[in-house]
Amino acid sequence: MSGRKNLGEFEQLLLLAVMRLGDDAYGVTMRREVEARTGREVSLGAIYPTMARLERKGLVSSFASEPTGERGGRSRRCFRLEPAGRRALEEARSMVDAMWKGFEEGKVGT
Amino acid sequence: MSEPIQRRDLPRGIRLLLRLLPQEYRDACEGDLIEEYERYVIPSRSRRAAKVWLWRSASKGALVGFGYRLYDLFTSESGTSDGRGGRHPRMGVGQMDIVAQDLRYALRRLVASPGFTLVAIVSLGLGVGVNTALFSVVNAVLVRGPQVADPGSLVEVYSETTEELQIGVSSWPDFRDVATLTDVFDGVTAYEMFFASQNQEDGSDLVLGELVSASFFKVLGVTPVLGRGFLPSEDEVPGRDPVVVVSQAFWKGRLGGDPGVVGRTLRLNGGLYTIVGVAPEGFTGMWPALSMDVWAPSMMMDQLMAFGNEGRYERRGSQSVFIKARLRAGVPLARAQAASSALAARLLEAYPEVDERLDFTLTPTLDVSVHPLVDKALVPVAGMLMAVVGLVLLIACTNLASFLLARGADRKKEVALRLALGARRGRLVRQLLTETMLLALAGGAVGVALADWTVRLLTRFQPPLPVPISLDLSLDRTVFLFALAVSLGAGMLFGLLPALQSTKPDIAPTLKAESHRGGAGRTGRLRSGLVVTQVAVSLVLLVGSGLFLRSLIAAQAIDPGFQAPEAAMISFETRTSGYEDAEALVALRQLQERVAAVPGVDAVAAADRLPLSASLSLEDFQIPGHEPPEGREGIALDAVSVGAGYLDLLQIPILSGRGIEASDTGGSEPVLVISQAMARRFWPGEDPVGQVIRTRGRDVRIVGVVRDTKVRTLGEAPRPLAYSPLEQNYHSLVTVIARGQGPAPETLAILRGTLNEFDPNLVIMSETTMPEHLGVMLFPARMAALLLAVSGGLGVLLAAVGLYGVVSYGVSRRTHEVGVRMSLGADPGSVVGLVIGGGLRLVIWGAAIGLGLAFAVTRAVERFLYGVSATDPLTFLGVPLLLLAVATLAAYVPARRASRVDPVTALRSE
Repeated sequence: MSGRKNLGEFEQLLLLAVMRLGDDAYGVTMRREVEARTGREVSLGAIYPTMARLERKGLVSSFASEPTGERGGRSRRCFRLEPAGRRALEEARSMVDAMWKGFEEGKVGT
Repeated sequence: MSEPIQRRDLPRGIRLLLRLLPQEYRDACEGDLIEEYERYVIPSRSRRAAKVWLWRSASKGALVGFGYRLYDLFTSESGTSDGRGGRHPRMGVGQMDIVAQDLRYALRRLVASPGFTLVAIVSLGLGVGVNTALFSVVNAVLVRGPQVADPGSLVEVYSETTEELQIGVSSWPDFRDVATLTDVFDGVTAYEMFFASQNQEDGSDLVLGELVSASFFKVLGVTPVLGRGFLPSEDEVPGRDPVVVVSQAFWKGRLGGDPGVVGRTLRLNGGLYTIVGVAPEGFTGMWPALSMDVWAPSMMMDQLMAFGNEGRYERRGSQSVFIKARLRAGVPLARAQAASSALAARLLEAYPEVDERLDFTLTPTLDVSVHPLVDKALVPVAGMLMAVVGLVLLIACTNLASFLLARGADRKKEVALRLALGARRGRLVRQLLTETMLLALAGGAVGVALADWTVRLLTRFQPPLPVPISLDLSLDRTVFLFALAVSLGAGMLFGLLPALQSTKPDIAPTLKAESHRGGAGRTGRLRSGLVVTQVAVSLVLLVGSGLFLRSLIAAQAIDPGFQAPEAAMISFETRTSGYEDAEALVALRQLQERVAAVPGVDAVAAADRLPLSASLSLEDFQIPGHEPPEGREGIALDAVSVGAGYLDLLQIPILSGRGIEASDTGGSEPVLVISQAMARRFWPGEDPVGQVIRTRGRDVRIVGVVRDTKVRTLGEAPRPLAYSPLEQNYHSLVTVIARGQGPAPETLAILRGTLNEFDPNLVIMSETTMPEHLGVMLFPARMAALLLAVSGGLGVLLAAVGLYGVVSYGVSRRTHEVGVRMSLGADPGSVVGLVIGGGLRLVIWGAAIGLGLAFAVTRAVERFLYGVSATDPLTFLGVPLLLLAVATLAAYVPARRASRVDPVTALRSE
């Protein structure tokens, strides 16, 4: 591995959630997206620090939405996937795909 | 839709929790929490479930976020070296250094004064320990709930009928109708508990099981680890499919953990059952505290629990099962409720003969701990117990705060110097808090270890109850989080005040030579206040334990009205054992003859239940001249069926007429023997012998009056009780009592042996001895007294340590003063008196406040007391005296040290 760290599983899940949600990616929607698709319970307390790390790596960017009367008057922290983030996701996927090559789905293990 | 939720609508505790998150994204998180709560959670859950969600999400989010924060803090140093380009925006290397520095500093200081550190850790450990231990019980009974998949979408379906006691049970046909509501429910299951005897070559064992619908495991999302759950076809034809799923514990224990167990058979109540599956670890059925051994399809009910009630699977009037349903995804509770109520209305119309009223009410499973009725009784008791141990923790924390204050005062000069040199106060407070947090964590660790030990003791202990209680008291994640939260919370709460106090920026006076005598001011008052609090709180605990101890002693001295100290008894079910009632009565007579013939057995008798049993049986009586209550056919009174010799064996004296005799058989005139209380209530001043009353649709003649016995509880006032001859009123569950010459366990062994020889397939429900039986009654009183005595004892111990600390600290501050006094000719005795007097003044204040509190608080427990009033003078006088004695001792030790001060040294110590 060329000095750069690979994406962790959780990081991948969050990045994929951002990608799927497009313009609507923020804490609540991301949490529900990951939960609905994977059944994995995600804590808000884990999303933000992880996203901050991804942002520091330049994979996502974030901005605060205009506060409305809802949400107790708190603004949303929205995320957007950066080109580098998309590349990182694709790399992660091709790595996994490469390892799976040659196995038909469902024929491993059992 | 109601008003949008504002930030201030969030409970304060949640806002505090969120403070654990860094400023950077705290607001966004808070907004997310409110948004999800308002938009998704409130509409789909009950109020309580929604609240639970909110607290769970907030605390989990805050703790996880805090964890990340700590992690980032400690890893950001290495972060710069792993080639990451970006800089940590908020938490720089400097911050990390500061935390590490604080930790090092705190550790150094704690190690430097091992005595203080030890006392603080042990104090906190005791407090956290008792709290965690008790909480693990509360957790197992009330919090954890059954181990099923996604409990959030499960609902309890309770039947509401005209029954007086709304237990919520339904009939099996009702269940099958509810199961048709497939547009709102994803699946529906029903279950009912049964006892059966497992027949083995060497006698039989009692097994506890649940009769369930075929859908049971599927609906609950419980996957057997071996084999499978039930197939729909196995619950279709009555009696056709004798299959069982066994529990993990049963498999590992009685079946030896055989990996090939699926396909093997079990003999239950004489029939062979094929094992089709083994339930996963941790799944013990639907009731906390009870561990099921087996599950069987409901269609096997006639074989497993007939009790003369065959064919219940098609009887609508026979309500005995609990129903659970899983809501279809996206279906709101209200819609499912409407569908269920509509079904109930249809059923009511279709079967008007069953009942005048029927409704199904849905309650989210997460809102129920055991059962709404049980919860209502248990939750206040659990709350009270937690409050008691909470007080112990309070005393422990007060010690901690008091010590921290003392140390803070000692460090005043150092702190003042650092403030003068430009240190920020926040920084100093943080440093002091780091120390407290370390103490709290260490105390918490000691507490968890203590709790673990206590819980191990508790699990080994089997309360004397008719069903085997098995609580899984393992310290799970919830318990750990509880312990962590309690310790950190305590540390934070009781560390902050001293930290703020000792960093007060009153630099100038402190830096001036005032170092010795000056510190006594505010800090001293605060510490004195803490001691007063401790004494007051431990006095309340001690008064409580005193009252319960006195009550226990009084209860043990109660005359239950019957005497059979060495009797042993075994209960069994004759219908399940294969006897028709008439056969059973014949067999029962033969059995009694056999037991009586065993050398060493003095007397033997039978009854359908014993006085002071957990079960209770009421019968309606129509008594001339006495109107039954509105809407009832008769006056409901406690009733018991007994055989000849029963009154003799229990030494219940006959006051008038005769007792139940062997000549009172099914063929002879129906008779009744009544208790004195019943005679007094219905025939005051008359002899009721010869009176005829009606019960169960026939006339019965009263032939005798016997002395009162306790019927339901030891503490009750004399209660009317009617004795029928067993042969005239037989219900298939019978208890045989034997009195021998030897001790009770020996008699029990004789009884068991004879029974086994008589019929090895008898379905034994319970066996016990009289001392054990009476022990059940005293069990709650014993537990309450024990818990309070332990709490009170711990409280006093901790308060004594606290007092000792305060007094000895005071002595060390007053060395100078003492030196002056002694050099002026004061004798050591008067110095001791002076110092002790100072300490005792605090104790007397505390005791006075504590007495006031105790008067108010013990009112609340009055109904749990027996034979002692909530304002028992002995307790209220004795406890303060005891406390005073302990306090004097705690103050005497440092006082004596003060009197030995060498005046010259003391004066030089300036």
